[in-house]
Amino acid sequence: MASVSEDNLELQEIQKLEGHTDRVWGLAWNPTSGADGVPAVLASCSGDKTVKIWQKSPSTSSFHLKATIEETHTRTVRSCSWSPSGKLLATASFDATTAIWEQVGDDFECLATLEGHENEVKSVSWNASGSLLATCSRDKSIWIWEALPGNEFDCVSVLQGHTQDVKMVLWHPSEDILFSCSYDNTIKVWAEDGDSDDWHCVQTLKEANNGHSSTVWSISFNATGDKMVTSSDDLSIKVWGADIVRVQSGEGYAPWKHLCTLSGYHDRTVFSVHWSREGIISSGAADDAIRLFVENQDDLGDGPMYRLLSKKEKAHEQDVNCVQWGSKESGLLASSSDDCSVKIWKLGPRH
Amino acid sequence: MASQSQDESTSIQDIFDAALNLEDTHYKSGYDEGFSDGLLTGKDEARYVGLKSGFETGEELGFYRGCIDVWNSAIKIDPLCFSTRVQKSIKQMDELVSKYPFNDPENELATDVVEGLRLKFKAVCATLNVKLEYDGYPKSSDVGF
Repeated sequence: MASVSEDNLELQEIQKLEGHTDRVWGLAWNPTSGADGVPAVLASCSGDKTVKIWQKSPSTSSFHLKATIEETHTRTVRSCSWSPSGKLLATASFDATTAIWEQVGDDFECLATLEGHENEVKSVSWNASGSLLATCSRDKSIWIWEALPGNEFDCVSVLQGHTQDVKMVLWHPSEDILFSCSYDNTIKVWAEDGDSDDWHCVQTLKEANNGHSSTVWSISFNATGDKMVTSSDDLSIKVWGADIVRVQSGEGYAPWKHLCTLSGYHDRTVFSVHWSREGIISSGAADDAIRLFVENQDDLGDGPMYRLLSKKEKAHEQDVNCVQWGSKESGLLASSSDDCSVKIWKLGPRH
Repeated sequence: MASQSQDESTSIQDIFDAALNLEDTHYKSGYDEGFSDGLLTGKDEARYVGLKSGFETGEELGFYRGCIDVWNSAIKIDPLCFSTRVQKSIKQMDELVSKYPFNDPENELATDVVEGLRLKFKAVCATLNVKLEYDGYPKSSDVGF
């Protein structure tokens, strides 16, 4: 059965990046790096309160530490995100602040500190145009900020809806629609009413809608933005779909519907999922493994829509907290872990 | 024969009726006493809770009203002192406070107004980069004699 060349693919470890002195949480590839002669740049953030910037050296093809952002956040840096232009880096910390950084020479300068959350900021995300920034926190709220000229950030709206800690926020890859997931087991979709700064929850995906039965940890979109994948403490990954063309043509909101559930693959919490441009879903879990899933091409309609492509056991010595596909280079994957390391992987033929 | 036995059973029933009625009477008087006592203490408690939460809500709304008035005065002196977005939020807060159903505490709008005000207030403070906080009901240690 399994004779497609795809089935002979596996993740090969390229490099282990060491330097963080505490668990590594989030990862972010600079979206403008990794092609056209611009060396790939990866940011990693950690419980050691620092953010490290790793750059691929063109000559040796290996990654080296380019910069360390430290002495600003006073607690764990939980999440980081590059603006679409690749010029700004936002970092969210347990110290209740979000910082905005700009690279100046080899150093990173703090342009702004966004304060407002009552406690731990868990995640930060830029919208497609880079004009809006969303943050979420253990205080159950989500904040939307607008980036204004002169490195000013205005608070556009404070959103309340989740009944527990909000784990992650993510903007849709093309539309100004915001997605959030929480310890309350739900995924919420937020949209603006006209042009009024009034943001509302337009949809809640909960257990009763084939949703997750425990904490939802992460969200990712496919390249076209018509499918979304979510991962949870309920040991499953769920794929959702929406008629995004309807939204893009301005005909109104298209609700997200449950497409399928990938269960039976994980036996511990799935902390992170990321969908590659080529359509491969990677997952990082508390069982220290990284799994890859692809859509079932030869499916006749009643079988599972996705299947396991490959599983990397013992990818790390402890929990895998984040997996991120390279923004430009195909098959390049980064993973971060409680074992204080970041690993770079390449998807290639099995030896 | 039949009628005699009927009489006997009736008289026996009468004896038990008295006992049963005794229980009923005591139950009734106990219930009445409990009801009137409960009504009194219930009213007292409700009055106390009403005063407390009414004071808390009033204090919180008053705090926002104070902030709005100061900001509005600042705008009157210098119409450009806050961005359009902040001015709009202040105006929305103003409308919310005015909309609060002070004389209709069971109106569901009341909680919506307070929730809305709290969120708007947070957004305005974050944008103005000021650390204002409504401290809430004064703690017992704050009250001196």
